[in-house]
Amino acid sequence: MTIKGGKEVTITIDRRRFIQSAAAGSAIAAAGAIFPGISFAAWPKVVGNTGVVSWQKTPCRFCGTGCGLLVGVADGRAVAVKGDPNCSVNKGLCCMKGYHSVQALYGTDRITTAKIRKNGEMVEVPIKEALDLVAAKLTETRDKHGKDSVAIYGSGQWTIPDGYVASKLFKGCLSTNNVEANARLCMASAVTGFMTTFGIDEPMGCYEDIDHANVFITWGNNMAEMHPVLFSRMLANRKRRTNVKIIDFATRLTRTSQAADTSLLFRPQTDLAVANAICHEIIANDWVNWNFVNEHVSFHKGKTNIGYGTEDHFAFTDQDEAINFEEYKKFLADYTPERVEKISGVPAKDIKYLAALYGDPSLKVTSFWCMGMNQHTRGTWINNLVYNIHLLVGKISTPGNSPFSLTGQPSACGTVREVGTLTHGLPHGVVMNEHDRQMAAEIWEVPVENIDPKPTYHTVEMFRALDRGDIKFIWIQVTNPMVTMPNLKRYREGALKEDRFIVVSDVYPTPTTDVADVILPSAFWIEKEGMFGNSERRTQHFAEIVKPPGEAMSDTWQIIEVARRLGFEKQFPWSQDNYIEKIWEEYRRFHAGPKHEMAPYQVLRARAGVQWPFVNGRETRWRFNPEYDPACTNGKSFDFYGKKDNRAWIWARPYEPAAESPDGEYPFWLNTGRVIEHWHTGSLTRRIPVLNNAVPSGYVEMHPEDAAELGVVNGEKVKIISRRGEIVIPVQINGRGVPPRHMVFVAFFDESYLINEVTLDAFCPISKQPDYKKCAVRLEKA
Amino acid sequence: MMEKKGSEKWAKAVPGLFALSFLGLLLVAGREARAVDNLDNFDHQGKKLYMAGEATPEIYLSADAGDRNLASFYELRQYPGSPPRIPHPVDQAFSGKETDCLSCHAKGGYSPEFGKFAPVTPHPENSLCYQCHVPLKEEKPFVASDWQSIDPPRLGLSFLSSSPPTIPHSLQLRENCIACHTGPGAVAEIRVAHASRGNCRQCHVPVVQTDELREFQRN
Repeated sequence: MTIKGGKEVTITIDRRRFIQSAAAGSAIAAAGAIFPGISFAAWPKVVGNTGVVSWQKTPCRFCGTGCGLLVGVADGRAVAVKGDPNCSVNKGLCCMKGYHSVQALYGTDRITTAKIRKNGEMVEVPIKEALDLVAAKLTETRDKHGKDSVAIYGSGQWTIPDGYVASKLFKGCLSTNNVEANARLCMASAVTGFMTTFGIDEPMGCYEDIDHANVFITWGNNMAEMHPVLFSRMLANRKRRTNVKIIDFATRLTRTSQAADTSLLFRPQTDLAVANAICHEIIANDWVNWNFVNEHVSFHKGKTNIGYGTEDHFAFTDQDEAINFEEYKKFLADYTPERVEKISGVPAKDIKYLAALYGDPSLKVTSFWCMGMNQHTRGTWINNLVYNIHLLVGKISTPGNSPFSLTGQPSACGTVREVGTLTHGLPHGVVMNEHDRQMAAEIWEVPVENIDPKPTYHTVEMFRALDRGDIKFIWIQVTNPMVTMPNLKRYREGALKEDRFIVVSDVYPTPTTDVADVILPSAFWIEKEGMFGNSERRTQHFAEIVKPPGEAMSDTWQIIEVARRLGFEKQFPWSQDNYIEKIWEEYRRFHAGPKHEMAPYQVLRARAGVQWPFVNGRETRWRFNPEYDPACTNGKSFDFYGKKDNRAWIWARPYEPAAESPDGEYPFWLNTGRVIEHWHTGSLTRRIPVLNNAVPSGYVEMHPEDAAELGVVNGEKVKIISRRGEIVIPVQINGRGVPPRHMVFVAFFDESYLINEVTLDAFCPISKQPDYKKCAVRLEKA
Repeated sequence: MMEKKGSEKWAKAVPGLFALSFLGLLLVAGREARAVDNLDNFDHQGKKLYMAGEATPEIYLSADAGDRNLASFYELRQYPGSPPRIPHPVDQAFSGKETDCLSCHAKGGYSPEFGKFAPVTPHPENSLCYQCHVPLKEEKPFVASDWQSIDPPRLGLSFLSSSPPTIPHSLQLRENCIACHTGPGAVAEIRVAHASRGNCRQCHVPVVQTDELREFQRN
């Protein structure tokens, strides 16, 4: 490297040396020339701009935290971001993805025109022509193969209106329950956990719990990277007060472990046993809050040995049976800390320590979890079991006492859970319930017979049906299943079969648009009006802030256009000027009443987010607690009104092993997940230069001793082989995450390393959510 | 003896004196009053400061982050006000013990490793640094970007010819003025000459040029 006058630079050096010398001084001025496209100085500026921007509110586009952003707009372009100080979620602080989110609008490969497949080639056509083709193909398929041969597959990144019109068209007008969303892959177990324990979905607490709790226990949840804004709120709480502890309970060491006061590692799947052992200890030490338990809890058990769903047409229905406390206690007798130590690898004294934290009446305890507990072949069970702990000690629905299920997408709650865009769901209730069908038919102005009372396919089964040919037409919006489906190879080959017709609405090319017959250009995030719903029951509105490029159109409007071509003008009568407002006010009717009342459109428009139930102008921060929740009517200190017996249910759920565990042939656990820089499949974050350049490619984390045994060093490649597929990927040793021996971890953001070709499509039989955290692999040096 | 040694050292370290302008003022006053004959004659923290200065090796006093100018400041940002990326190598583990970053960036000070003064964070209360600040591993983009931003705020926007310049940027996460505007780690162009006056907003008012809030209207 030579530097002349600090300007001319010839690069013949390796990266590391360069960065060091740059940091050491004189080369910094020249850095702009070396890093084209990632330094501010190298970017072109909006022409003629004087530095004046207007700031407009929106929720962040990425995870389920729901941070309020202010987007700076100059001359019709998004040019800056700051945290919205008026948003109680993040109080003005974002994470790296939020701060750079607007750069995701400007990748040069944005899809701006429609494309259709002609003689095997994708050719650009006017969007009208593409929508005509979608409508024609949908009708043709339906006529030829029946109403359940067409499907729509959406996303927790759908806005609420997107999901609402999808459900109205497919369930209400086309009479098929073939409506699913990728949130099935991320929070179905949370939903079934809530439904089985409380009879009503979504957390009872809110983020304010973080300011009140003394103890945080993160269950298989790397919050420091996945929900950083909430995690730093926890750290701030710990710094401000003297009696705050963070306990990381996980299967590998992460940044969360580093920041936690204590980190406890358990063997994959054994969280079930540990949760039961904690309850065992709480009862053995008589830390039970009897006033609470006697008044507000009932005991139940369900089926056991419930299977893993790896075979087609797998079906399972749980059956609950009431038990009494003595029976529950007897069930727990198997779960002494000493015995569970042998299963889980967590020392009995540490299990007792956890139990003591939950059991100490002077401590407020908040448990957090996300994919570790939800992507689990016993996901519903582990959700139940953590609620059990909180219910036994009565630490729930009061500030700081909160079992808190986090979400990973901006509107997994808002669109998928609240609008009910899953095969069994409706905007209010489920298709199986006659009253719910009648309500939907009335609001949708369709005959009630239109709504099929029988659910069809959950996500994994939907893609199996596509592979088998039971589904011939699928419309995929705002998601990238050709990266995210477990056991991916089967589903990609299925999608590519001869007479399958795949429509994909997206903003960038992805492996999913690669298999499409029609690509529809979508308006992205703030290029259209919409609402998201975050993890704490908060609905967040955003206006159209910048214009969509080319012919890009909102996903909502794409569906409306197709619906009208199919003859449903009556159900989709809105004008493009105010359709979001009209849809919102129609949708709101489904949730009327104190348990789920949603804020009016004008209120959403004015605020950075509003929590439901929104009753008489007031948000509800803690549900089931009459001090805060207007739906409580029983006159007691809590009202668990979701269940008919007005009680929260404690479930006896046993430990059962994972669908596939390491053995002699495949001796390693494979665990998958995310890194802070990238979000999901990376189709957005990899187009944000500064994030891409921080973590430019995928890797596998290995324990240093495993790496030594295999004879690989940092950056060398290994082949990860399972019974389903294999990939070759570089190794990272002693990076930000360190798995225990005989476990490897791969982040799934990089489409050039499709780790889901290796994963297993086993799922929780109750929630039908796949387990991306556990399967067996072997490694070879590549 | 003490006084002589001290004087020589200060003379050699003139550039570094900026950092210690407060101390410098004390010294000037000290020469007249000869307070150094008896360090206890110093007011308030004077003795402590004097002794700290004495204990500071010369290289620390002469070092300066002179290459930190506005251009290099904006090099690290995607738009004015964005969290800067990390310009130096970080450990691969970078696992966020808060002391990792804040040991240098909480209070600044000289870093022998980099041979200069560390810039000071204006928001040390946020200790999860990697939440916003990313290291750089590679410069190749995944796909090219059409990103554009705006020009950074202009400096020296005073309303009258002699009035104190206004604060041209948002104070969000940057309420602590002296973190960025004083000391040897500060960017040269925005370093103030009167750091000892701690109450900055007594004279400098935030005038952030912001358009009125308006939503996109379809033509």
